[in-house]
Amino acid sequence: MTHSTEAEITPPPSRRIVLLVTLGAVVAALVILFAGILPAEYNRDPTGLGRLTGIAKLWAPGQQVVAANAGAAGAPVSRSYPTPYRSDVIEIPLKPDEDPERGNELEYKVHLEKGGSYVYSWEVAEITNPEEFYTEFHGHTAEAGKTMTVAEYRKATGSSDNGILTAPFAGVHGWYFQNQSLKPVIVRLKLSGFYTLIPDGQPGNETGLHAKAVAF
Amino acid sequence: MTLSAIKTGKLHLIPARAIPNLVRALELGAVLLLFLLGSEALAHGIEGRDAAFVAATRGPAPGPFLYLGAKHMVTGYDHLLFLLGVIFFLRRFRDVVLYVSLFSLGHSITLLCGVLGKSGLDSRLVDAVIGLSVVYKAFDNIGGFERTLRWRPDPRATVLGFGLIHGLGLATKLEQLGLHREGLLANLVSFNVGVELGQVAALSVLLTLILLWRRTRLFSSAAVAANMTIMTSGFVLIGYQLAGFFWRATG
Repeated sequence: MTHSTEAEITPPPSRRIVLLVTLGAVVAALVILFAGILPAEYNRDPTGLGRLTGIAKLWAPGQQVVAANAGAAGAPVSRSYPTPYRSDVIEIPLKPDEDPERGNELEYKVHLEKGGSYVYSWEVAEITNPEEFYTEFHGHTAEAGKTMTVAEYRKATGSSDNGILTAPFAGVHGWYFQNQSLKPVIVRLKLSGFYTLIPDGQPGNETGLHAKAVAF
Repeated sequence: MTLSAIKTGKLHLIPARAIPNLVRALELGAVLLLFLLGSEALAHGIEGRDAAFVAATRGPAPGPFLYLGAKHMVTGYDHLLFLLGVIFFLRRFRDVVLYVSLFSLGHSITLLCGVLGKSGLDSRLVDAVIGLSVVYKAFDNIGGFERTLRWRPDPRATVLGFGLIHGLGLATKLEQLGLHREGLLANLVSFNVGVELGQVAALSVLLTLILLWRRTRLFSSAAVAANMTIMTSGFVLIGYQLAGFFWRATG
């Protein structure tokens, strides 16, 4: 039955074309799903097409942001830790802004257990205009394939900062540094507390920075 | 021209002249895929600040809900693809009004009833059926039912039926946001009116483009390819939503 109210493809496609078109649509949809959407959105790559095209790299675990504000002043804060005490100085060289390999920015973090603390102090002596240096002090969980829990402590421009962190969850906690000035700089970061350093190439120390232990 | 060659039986498998059409369809598909991947709204829910607003609202807020309804429709490619399929071959303005009214009637009923009656359906599954409605309409447009079953379901009945499904999709999105009972009906009606306004806005763009395209010689030769693209998008939507239903835990 044809409804006269509608325009038509003239002449209407044959049964063979109808079936071919439908089959074609199914095949095209399967390719899009298996090469694109499943690897990128769901981390499922049964055919290997996602890895082949590199689309699988798009997938990242979801994020969950937790509140990281300090508790009420006056709350008891005495605590002891099984993690050994340590102190380190880390020198973090950064290239000038507009470095073609983006060597003007990197992340450096250390591992803290839940409730673990460190005292930190960092400065960039070469920076004359504090507006030209940007940091994000944050932490996140680093378990492959799991939803990432994220806490943001401080986002600011400025060439120095110091303080104390008590980790809201076990994970890597530290800084994203970005040099926006036109000269190379070195961030001098001092840490003391109950943390462990992250081996080269692991999440938190991807660039393989080496801390200098401070002797007591 | 391509199709007349098939009709006269000169060509057997895929007519050589159909190849450019298939290529065009794949190109369109690729562009659509990029568009989908580029938009954060792949899941097409109500997100971010809008969701926060809805969750925080008590009592009637007709303006904001009207806006949200319109926004949901204009940015909702699942609804738009279906509408594109529906109006693809409608020639008279009166028919456009008729079909779109049937669609609106359908989704208004289920939007209101779904939220007020707490349907509790999984939005992924409903969205998968919405993907199926897109496939259905594209298949219908290329004469699929007449060719394979020798019988075509009345398109007016199916547009109403699928309108009901699309309305359930809208309802499940709103339900997830935890609307307050206070002012619920007023807000739902506002949202629904917004949906209709958004639909009119989107339709006027779609119709203009279709009418312009229909005047060109390209139309009849590319109509099959265009519907194949719509059908492909429908299958992709189904797969995407089902994958989301089964593997949500990975998020």
